[in-house]
Parts: sequence; C-alpha cells; structure tokens
Amino acid sequence: MKRFLSVFAAFLLLLPLPLTLAACSSSSEKQVLRVYNWEDYISQPSADEDPEDAAPDLIAEFEKEYGVTVEYSTFGTNENMYNELKINAAGYDLVCPSDYMIMKMINEDMVEPFSDEFVQNGTYSSYASPYIKELFEENGWTRYAAAYMWGTMGFVYNPAFVDAEDLSSWAGIWDSKYAKKSTIKDSVRDSYFLGVAYVYRDELTQLADDYAAGKLDADTYRKTLETIMNRTDEDTRSRVKDALLELKPNLYGFEVDSGKQDMITGKITINFAWSGDAVYSMDEAEASETGNPVYLNYAIPKECTNIWFDGWVMPKGANTELAEKFIDFLSRPENAVANMNFIGYTSAVGGDAVFDEMVNWYDESADSENRGYDEDGNALEKYDLNYFFRGTGNYDDYTIYISEDNLHRQLYAQYPSSSESDNVILRSAIMKNFTNEETAAVNEMWEEVKGLPIPVWAYIVIAVIAAGIVVIALTYVYKGKRKNAAPKKGYHRVSSK
Amino acid sequence: MQRFHFSRKQLCIPYGLFLALFVVIPMLLILFYAFTKETDGNLSFSFSNFIGFFTSRAKLSTLLMSITIAIISTALCLLIAYPIAYILARSSFRKKNVLLMIFILPMWINFVLRITALRELLDLIGLLESQNYLNTLIGMVYDFLPFMILPLYTTLEKIDKSYLEAAADLGGNKFTVFTKVTFPLSMPGVISGITMVFMPSMTNYVVSDTLSNFNITILGKLIDEYFTTYDNWHMGSMISIILLLIIFLTMLATGGFKDNEKEARGTNLW
Repeated sequence: MKRFLSVFAAFLLLLPLPLTLAACSSSSEKQVLRVYNWEDYISQPSADEDPEDAAPDLIAEFEKEYGVTVEYSTFGTNENMYNELKINAAGYDLVCPSDYMIMKMINEDMVEPFSDEFVQNGTYSSYASPYIKELFEENGWTRYAAAYMWGTMGFVYNPAFVDAEDLSSWAGIWDSKYAKKSTIKDSVRDSYFLGVAYVYRDELTQLADDYAAGKLDADTYRKTLETIMNRTDEDTRSRVKDALLELKPNLYGFEVDSGKQDMITGKITINFAWSGDAVYSMDEAEASETGNPVYLNYAIPKECTNIWFDGWVMPKGANTELAEKFIDFLSRPENAVANMNFIGYTSAVGGDAVFDEMVNWYDESADSENRGYDEDGNALEKYDLNYFFRGTGNYDDYTIYISEDNLHRQLYAQYPSSSESDNVILRSAIMKNFTNEETAAVNEMWEEVKGLPIPVWAYIVIAVIAAGIVVIALTYVYKGKRKNAAPKKGYHRVSSK
Repeated sequence: MQRFHFSRKQLCIPYGLFLALFVVIPMLLILFYAFTKETDGNLSFSFSNFIGFFTSRAKLSTLLMSITIAIISTALCLLIAYPIAYILARSSFRKKNVLLMIFILPMWINFVLRITALRELLDLIGLLESQNYLNTLIGMVYDFLPFMILPLYTTLEKIDKSYLEAAADLGGNKFTVFTKVTFPLSMPGVISGITMVFMPSMTNYVVSDTLSNFNITILGKLIDEYFTTYDNWHMGSMISIILLLIIFLTMLATGGFKDNEKEARGTNLW
C-alpha cells in the first residue's frame, strides 16, 4: 500500500510538469492579456464562414500588432462574472460588466484606475462620444471604466397589429387589447424598471409637462427622473409587484432570448427589448427568408427609458498597460464598425468611420453630395446625431436624412433621438446599483411575481394527495391492529373445533 | 524488491476518489453553504436560509407548484406507461425489443432539441399561447415516459408465468389475476419508475420555461436563479437540501430503502 501511495504521489508530482513548462515557455516570449467578456460580444469570424466576407478577427489582429497573446473567455451573467472574480481575483486583466455591476465593483474597490495618459490622450478618450463621456464624468466613472456598447430599452412592435400611439406609454402592454401578444424580460432588473415606470407614469408625465412648460431646467428634470426610476422603497416594491402580477396574465410570457425569434415568426406583436436586440429583430424580420418581409418598429415610451451600457474595467492586479492598449485598439473607429457589424449593438465610440457606416446603412438621400432629398426630390426627415458624434471626427455636421417610414426603426434603436419633439436622451435614466438589502428585497418581489398565483386546482390536487396518504396510513394502522389480534382469534377457532 | 500487485481493494481506489471528489465533497459544500450566511464578507453559521425558505410566500408557492406538477406528471406517466409495458411484456411478438426501442427512441435525441420542437408543435396546435400548465405537463410526460416504461417493462417481463397460471387455475378471472398477482409483483418497477420521474419533474425547468413561456416557476428554476442572477449561493444550496429531503421522504414512503431483497429488487434497477 505504501509503495502504491508513493507511486501515486510521484505521478501527482509529475502531472503539472508539462503545464508549468508550457507556461514558462510562452510567458518568456509573449505577454498575456486575459480578457473576460460577454458571449458573442466581439467581432470574430465563425468557422463555417467564407474567409472572404468573414467578420474581422479583432483578437487575432491585436495579438499580431502588439506581439502578445490574448486569453479570451466569456460569461453569461454579470453575477457569474462577479463570482468568478471573487474566486479568481487575479485571473483577469480586463472584464466587461454592465453599468450597475461596474458601480458595484467600483464601490467595493475591485478595479484598477486608468492611467492619466489613457484618460487624457488615449484612442478611447479621443473617439468616445461626448455624450457618453459626459455621462461617465457626471457619475464619476471616467477613471475606472471605458464604455463599450450602450443603448436604451423600449418596445419592438409590429405596426400592422399595434397602434403606435398605444406604445407611447409603458402602460401600453397592460392594455387587454394586446392580451397574450406581448413578452417582457425574464430578468429582475429590466422588469422592475418596467414596473416602476408603469407605477409612476402619472408622476413622470407631470414632470415632463413641467419641463415642457419651462418650470424645470433640463438638469433638474433628468435628476428627478433618475431618482424616481431608482426608487426601491417598500411601497414602490409592493406597487410594482401588484402591477406586474396584474400584467402577467395579459402577457404571452417572459423571455430571455426567444423574444427576437417570436417577434420574427409573428407569435407575438410586442416585445420589451434592449435596443441592440431590437435592431436584430428588425433586421431579421425584414430579411425574412420566406420572401415575406415584415417591417417592425421600435418605440420608446414618452415617460422615460433606461439607458444602459457595458464597459471595460480592469480588476485589481491586472496588467493595466496591456489592458489599456486593448481598449484603445477596440476604440479605433474602424474596429468599432467591425464590432457593430458583428454584434448589432451600438458602440460608445464615434468617429467619422462609424458615422460613414451609419450614413451607408440608413441615409436615404439620392445625392451623396447634396443630401436631404430622396429620388423623387421630396425632403427627408433630419435625424440629428451631433450630440453623439460632434468632436469625434472632422465633419461639421452629423445629420442623417431618413424617410418617415424608417424613422422609428433601426436608426432610432441604435442612436436614440435628441430632437425637441422626441428627446429620448433627455428622458433616459441610468438604473443604479442597489444595496444588497435592496437587491434582496427586489429579488423577493420578483420571485413572487414569477411564482404566483397558484391555481385552485393545484391546491385541490395537493389536498387529495394528502387525504390519500392519511387514508393509506390509517389503513396500515388498522391492519396492524388486526394482525396483532389474529393469534387469539385463530386459537379460538381451533379450540372450538 | 517485491513485485507490485493490484489487489481488489486497490482497484477500488479510483472509485473511492471519484466518490469523494464528486459526491461527498460537493454534498458537504452544499451543506456548508446552506447553513451559513454572509455578512460583510464574513461567513457565519445560521439557520436563516432554512427559516427564510419556510417564511417566504414566493418559495412556498413554488414548492407547492413543483410538487403538484411532479405528482400529476408522475401519475400520468404511470397511467400511460403501465399498459404499454404490460402489452410489451405480454406480447409474443418476436421483435418486441424493436417495439420497446421505438418507445425509448426519443431518449437518444438531445432533450433540449425535443422540447424546442415540442414548443413549435404546441404552437401549431394553438396550445402554446394559453395552456401553460397543460403544456408543461405534456412536456414532462413526453420527456420522462421512457424512464417509467423501462423499469415497468423489466419487472413485468421477469414475472414468472407459472404464478399467473396458478392463479388462473385457482379460479381467478383475468381481472383478479391482475390485481392480486401481476400488479403486486410489479410494484418494485412501479416504485422505481415513480422515483425516476418524480424527482426530475420537480426540477426540470427547461421544460417549464420553454413550454410555459416562463410563466411557471418550479424549484429547479429557483435554484438556478439563486446561483446565477440573485447571487445568493446560500439560499440556492438550502433549496437543494430541501429538495433532497423531499426525495428522501418519498423514497422512505415508497420503501426504497428496504434491505429486504425481495421487496427492493426492482428499486435497485436504476
């Protein structure tokens, strides 16, 4: 036995040897950057694609340019990523969580700050949209996070079956007119936002009216909006719970990923969606292979919307120098275009290359020199993107001209409108990170929404089963008694014979 | 130097290691998480998860829903599987193995694929939109039927025909023979089938999520939520422990732990 153990121990000692050797040889030659990102969240060619029109392989390009190795791994939820970082603290150089998780990580002192050079002169700092930069500056994240993709939340809907006017309020999907025709997210934070917006819709409308009437300045309006949308007190939670429980029977269901497909196949006509997914749904429905394209629209209700983003942060102990290089590499406008093509979400980076691509995708001007008119000479709608692009490139004006039919489609989802009549940017609020207690309470609320109500027949089934068990148990007891009494009886019978 | 021999004892070592690594240690970890709580990064022993489970309306409702769905799907499986298994076991058809294979064939196709296909089928019939409970039950039964058929078939086939002949000789009609001889002798298969179906149908949330459009929550889904989105492994582990207790109780009730070889024969099939 002893000998076997020693053989076994020797085997164990030998086991890691090739691994260590391999690690030594690679680290002595090349630096390693360990990136931890969402699934499908960077431009990568897929195996079965024709190499000619395959998506650019950004990771390989970065490796080649800087002579480094990138170890790329992916996660499925923010919480999974957070736990992995807790367990394997020094395992990653760059991660890409969502807004509230970035706040949590900054609060918990889990991230390295960027260098002055990166913040002031990096590629990211010169190309990132002024809108995003201001948002980050306001909230104090500039030092710790670099935005990657961003967007809004709204409804994708099929205008053939849905009146656009109904979706000018979040209350639209509570309408029994759309019974069993809409889905919301199976995600506590997104659905909570929807609930809060519904519960406080009157207050929010009043706020917007006050702003329109000039009683409030833009800053107060936005701040108040954000405060309302981040309420988590008990009263709010219970009202949201009631609202969502009221909504539940009116819904087709909840969804994680199937909403896009169900929208395309026509199972549902309204889908509460992230803007990036909305773009995907609209693209796919238009390109329907059955030869019967469907044109979907995207609506952002008048009350408010949730502005969300995913951004890069460097966990404590990261190789910050290389991580910053990677962010800067991804922030080159041409790489941002590659990512937007691949992912379908909107990059936080501007630049003329990105704008040119948007003109290429969406602008309907007949004459590229004198834009603004379609082939028949009719004036097109002006879609102003200066709030996003100004200062990131050399153009004087960033406006896209689009027909009215297409005004509420992909472009509207990719870059929310900032016009006076429909200022989405102004009515958007970031959903903050809740404290642990608030999170637990909101989760409990969501659990009740998901777990209730229990149908009456379920109680009946349980009652019948319970009664059955009692009856069987009683029969056993009764039989047992009879068995004990049996010998006496038998004795009597025998003796009487 | 003596030559190195493997004895039977040493051959067990890999299995011992396997058990320790993949059964004992994970179970201990689950127990550890279930009875601890985290406050400001410090772990402390606590019953709060246990108390939390039984004082939460949402969790008790989910438990009730899971048990109801599991009971109904198990009962439906039994009702459908018994006649099939009986006919298969009784039939003198030479190629009955082929017949049996047809019934368990779906088991060899990836189950997520089967459930996704079923969703489209239910949509085609028009059930998907409104019949959440019915759809979930259909999915569970469809998915777990083979697990009920197989143990039933095996026990029924093994029953010595001379018992049945003897019963008939003694004047029992077909019905009496079935209720007094065949069915009692097939009990081990029934119990085995029930344990095979009841437990997974309480936790298989892929079926309930896909076919009810996430309208029905069962305990498996709740565990998943606690581990992936609520980020509370302690409660997730506690729910797993409670599930385990329910399974233990059902096994106790159905006699799965009886050492008596005759009675436990069928339960150890799987």
